[in-house]
Amino acid sequence: MTEERTDEPRDRNNWAPNIERLRADGGVNVGGRRLTGPQQGFGPMWQKTYTVRIPGVEPERVISEWKANYGSFWPSHSRFNAPVAGIKPGEVGNITSMQVMSTGIMVLYTDETSFSFMTPEGHPFAGWITFSSYDDDGTVGQVQLVIRPSDPLWDVAFLFGAAKGEDLMWQHTLRALAAHFGVEAKPETTLVKVDKKRLWKNAGNITKNAAIGSAINVAKAPVRMLRRA
Amino acid sequence: MPGTPFAVRVDHTDGAVALRMSGDVNRTAQETLAHAYDSAGDGPVLLDFSDVDYINSTGIAVIVGVLAKARATGRQVRAFGLTDHYREIFQITRIADFMAIFEDETTAVTAS
Repeated sequence: MTEERTDEPRDRNNWAPNIERLRADGGVNVGGRRLTGPQQGFGPMWQKTYTVRIPGVEPERVISEWKANYGSFWPSHSRFNAPVAGIKPGEVGNITSMQVMSTGIMVLYTDETSFSFMTPEGHPFAGWITFSSYDDDGTVGQVQLVIRPSDPLWDVAFLFGAAKGEDLMWQHTLRALAAHFGVEAKPETTLVKVDKKRLWKNAGNITKNAAIGSAINVAKAPVRMLRRA
Repeated sequence: MPGTPFAVRVDHTDGAVALRMSGDVNRTAQETLAHAYDSAGDGPVLLDFSDVDYINSTGIAVIVGVLAKARATGRQVRAFGLTDHYREIFQITRIADFMAIFEDETTAVTAS
């Protein structure tokens, strides 16, 4: 028998609000875009898990420091502009990769020991990234992605190096996170191909491709400057 | 934040297998839920959330793990018993695109 539960959920404030599209002023390839789970992507679906051991540090402290210094743990070729309000549910962060490609994420969830991001249309991959810390015979920091390459172009890019680049990026992030606490550690990586099929119905996602969008944005820069002059 | 320990009971029902969950669905639920799924035999899987009060983002990942296993073998997954709050969360996360969500067990069982 099902009985109605009316109590206020204790995690109500941990989750982002339900929105149709990201704010229009969210930035290039982000503003006005819809959020995408793996089923809105195109290529094979992967579950990628990266872990690092950070002994002697409480999981709550790992996550607190991770949120506060999120972008500083990234490799130098990519930049994360954290939301002004910080890593909080519903906030949007902008990403610049290789100094040219702009995209972003929305903060989907946060609590004391985890936080999650969700990607907008056009991002290299469609899905979720969950950052967590927990005790497993000592504290572990973890990044877990459940993703598909967003469109046929990103799918090809992932086949020819972008997937490896993704692995290296998160391994770098976890090494930097551990180093932040004075720990020198080698991250571990577990890659599981969850679904090898491509979702051809989503091939049209290429029209929102962030790399193409960024290139067009750069090409239009002189026109924008002339208009302002 | 102390919560309610996760538990799951496997219940064979009309042509389907119900995984009746209770407690908090978070990272600690992973092993228990995966074991329950593996022992559930064949047929459509019904995820019963009637006694689940809390799901965090690592819990969403745990559920996705079950959905991924089901997907790999072409097995159907249906859910029921979600509160309005978690129905909304399943919409926000778009996890609802992976499985059919029903109001109650009767409609979940009879769905094809």
